[in-house]
Amino acid sequence: MNVFLAQQADRIELPAIDYAAILPMLIILGAACIGVLFEAFLPKHQRWPGQVVLTLLAIAAAGVALGAYVGGSPAEGTTTLSGTLSIDRPALFLWGTLLALALGAVLLIADRSIEPGGAFVAQAGIAPGTVQDRAQVGSTGMQTEVFPLALFALGGMMAFCSANDLLTMFIALEVLSLPLYLMCGLARRRRLLSQEAAVKYFLLGAFASAFFLYGLALLYGYAGSVKLADIANATAGTDRSDTLLFAGLGLLMVGLLFKGSVGPFHTWTPDVYQGAPTPVTAFMAACTKVAAFGGMLRVLTVAFESTSWEWRGVLWGVAIVSMLIGAVLGLTQTDVKRMIAYSSIAHAGFLLIGTMALTEDGLSGTLFYLLAYGFTTLAAFGVISLVRDSTGEATHLSAWAGLAKRSPLLAAVFTFLLLALAGIPLTSGFVGKFVVFSAALSDGMAPLVVIALVFSAVAAFFYLRVVVLMYFSEPAADGPTVSVPGAFTTAAITLGVAVTLLLGVLPAFALDWAGAGGFAIS
Amino acid sequence: MAQGGPDAGLGVYLPLVLIFVLALAFATLSVLLGPLLGPSRFNRAKFSAYECGIEPSPQPLVGAGRMPVAYYVTAMLFILFDIEMVFLFPYAVSADALGLWGVAAATLFIATFFIADAYVWRRGGLDWN
Amino acid sequence: MTPTALFLAQAGADATVSTGEAISFWVLAPIAVAGALGMIFARNAVHSALWLVLTMLSLGMLYLIQQAPFLGFTQIIVYTGAIMMLFLFVLMMVGRESSDSVVEVLRGQRLAAAILGIGVAGVLAGALTRALADVTPAPPLDPWTPEGGAAGGLGRLIFSDYLFPFELTSALLITAAMGAMVLAFTDRHGKTGKRSQRELVEARFRGEYERPSPKPGPGVFATSNSVATPALLPDGSVAPESLSELIESTSAAKLSGERKQVAGDTPQPDAHSLTGSEEQSEERENS
Repeated sequence: MNVFLAQQADRIELPAIDYAAILPMLIILGAACIGVLFEAFLPKHQRWPGQVVLTLLAIAAAGVALGAYVGGSPAEGTTTLSGTLSIDRPALFLWGTLLALALGAVLLIADRSIEPGGAFVAQAGIAPGTVQDRAQVGSTGMQTEVFPLALFALGGMMAFCSANDLLTMFIALEVLSLPLYLMCGLARRRRLLSQEAAVKYFLLGAFASAFFLYGLALLYGYAGSVKLADIANATAGTDRSDTLLFAGLGLLMVGLLFKGSVGPFHTWTPDVYQGAPTPVTAFMAACTKVAAFGGMLRVLTVAFESTSWEWRGVLWGVAIVSMLIGAVLGLTQTDVKRMIAYSSIAHAGFLLIGTMALTEDGLSGTLFYLLAYGFTTLAAFGVISLVRDSTGEATHLSAWAGLAKRSPLLAAVFTFLLLALAGIPLTSGFVGKFVVFSAALSDGMAPLVVIALVFSAVAAFFYLRVVVLMYFSEPAADGPTVSVPGAFTTAAITLGVAVTLLLGVLPAFALDWAGAGGFAIS
Repeated sequence: MAQGGPDAGLGVYLPLVLIFVLALAFATLSVLLGPLLGPSRFNRAKFSAYECGIEPSPQPLVGAGRMPVAYYVTAMLFILFDIEMVFLFPYAVSADALGLWGVAAATLFIATFFIADAYVWRRGGLDWN
Repeated sequence: MTPTALFLAQAGADATVSTGEAISFWVLAPIAVAGALGMIFARNAVHSALWLVLTMLSLGMLYLIQQAPFLGFTQIIVYTGAIMMLFLFVLMMVGRESSDSVVEVLRGQRLAAAILGIGVAGVLAGALTRALADVTPAPPLDPWTPEGGAAGGLGRLIFSDYLFPFELTSALLITAAMGAMVLAFTDRHGKTGKRSQRELVEARFRGEYERPSPKPGPGVFATSNSVATPALLPDGSVAPESLSELIESTSAAKLSGERKQVAGDTPQPDAHSLTGSEEQSEERENS
């Protein structure tokens, strides 16, 4: 009892909180909570406008807060909340990228012009195919819970990018994943496919989280701490068990690579991209990739730089497998959404090359690549949502034949985006590949760069196949129509295309931002 | 429970075990006593469905006794409160070392959690129909 | 499980163990083993789950005895509470009477499971032998330090070093609640949904239905208390109101026989049968 009282006497101090630094994330998470309250207390007809205004305002406010902070932020970065969050230049760049991409994705989610009521089901609890389900097809309502869920996912992604210890990272990983699992299952059309996608994503994602957690536990056993800096210190010593270190790192990386849909951990990607509502696919494809690679960059650079010789060989293999699967299986796809999914797997391989470099150029190159790829893929999914027939989106490639004759503008925009994905000069994709590959070259990864170039060429073939199909085939008589998008979708596609073009023509300013500083080590 | 400190004997846990055993014995006994002591005289009326209702028809082999998925909300709410309790337990034991600051942090946690409850409540998830 | 218990007992004999610990162990360990065996051999999945609850409860108690109060309580609150509850929920959703299919879906599944099971048992036994032979027993931990792993130390850590992840957890809780509502809850009180009990009562008294009260039940002369049995009026005739249209249409053949029996048109059953018609006939004789 005496021991107990004596020890209780020392007070625990409030950890220092740098509110200005974490304000953007607090705004997003706070707005998500307010969004839930909107869902609870607003009458049905006010929910959609309320949520749209709240979500867009929150993202804009977070952007302003971020901009205000960046100007005066210390170049070497800062850690706050007892070192659980590290707000440094790469984190700020990733936050900016995430906010901008989420703005576009939310615009796509909010769109109700292409399909009355939007791409989301009115009541997800009604079983597909029942009488009640047929009755709700005509309704113009939607589950407006999508908006707070998207904000929670965004907040989780922001926390994930700046998490400075593995525990925070794990919780952020769950905060970003759970809303995505849910949102995948809410499509208005083809509901069974959508629910299947949600179940697959959830089950495989839960597995990946378990891998991450197991790796975390082993690394804690190795270093006696979950903080990245402590793990880095522990790797400098020699008397600890290497088995724990590399088993832990391996399991941790499986979890991270899964989220980035890399290489052999990609199996969920095509099904989920295809089944999820297209705006959610856009959000997932653009933002999750940014968050996953942001986290991977930080973990590898801050905690495992000194052991890079040991693990780099394995990641070489993973990158090659990822590019191989993406490029080769992408060739055989007959569905546009699945094709973009395989393209994202190939791109994940390219991104991994930059991530492995662990140099300043590698960091800035990967960050730039993430920015460029995010906007291109966002706009691509925006375009895909416009090509429709009576059953919803016409995603089968045969439906896209001769689309240039029906809508030259749409075909031109999509061609431009596909060229950017292929990495043709004057698009952001070319600059992204160039900076990543040159960083890898200067870090002594020439063979890998050669392999990557080969796979780029293979992947370019399936993008060009779609271009040829759109321009040089005769449209089918009962082919799909191209919807005229409303203001929201137009804005999102325009944003994506404009950034893709801008980063292709004038990449210097973005490259400067991306290379403004390294990770805060503390 | 930990008042004894690290070096005290482990005898402090003995009462706990005794209660566990008592509870187990009581539960087993009550279940066993019923059929043993109760009179077992049956007739047709006793075997039929209670009071009113259609006489039960045989259930299919697969999928018999299934519960509707709507109860999932109840299950989930239970788990949320459960998890909340697990977090508040460490707070409660070290509350005086944490002071006002700890109260504020715990309140923030509970307040955010109540947002979820407010949502479930307003949407009718707590109604029993 | 039994060899494990033996090993533990031997370790207990070597290190200093208080009587309390020894007694608790010998009480709890057999219960845990019994629960585990019961889980494997129970035919009904729900019974399996309940056996597992017993094992987990005993393990929780064992943790408490090992001076890990937080782990012990978490085991009881989270595992036996939350996780087993989800387990049971899933079992109920699948159907508590569905039995295992004996068809092997994956070829060689049982063989692989057996080999892996033996492998895991081997690894556990190996680790345990090594722990008993080579590792010196650690001194008891002080639960009031973070290293002690008890609630007091954890509370300090959660509210200082890991404050942010702790608060972030509430975002997970909100998402979970929303997810459950979105996926599993349908707004039944909307325009097209079912009426609530209260609305039904009000509608009945407003006269939207035939009568405000339920239809008459089988009554004292009934041979069965099923709604399928019609009620009898004082003169012995069948009350037409008590005939449910639904039942009429579904099992008319069965009912007509029963109605005849009630009306006394059929041959009387023998004196030992426990049907109402016997009393009925007696009453008719008395009157």
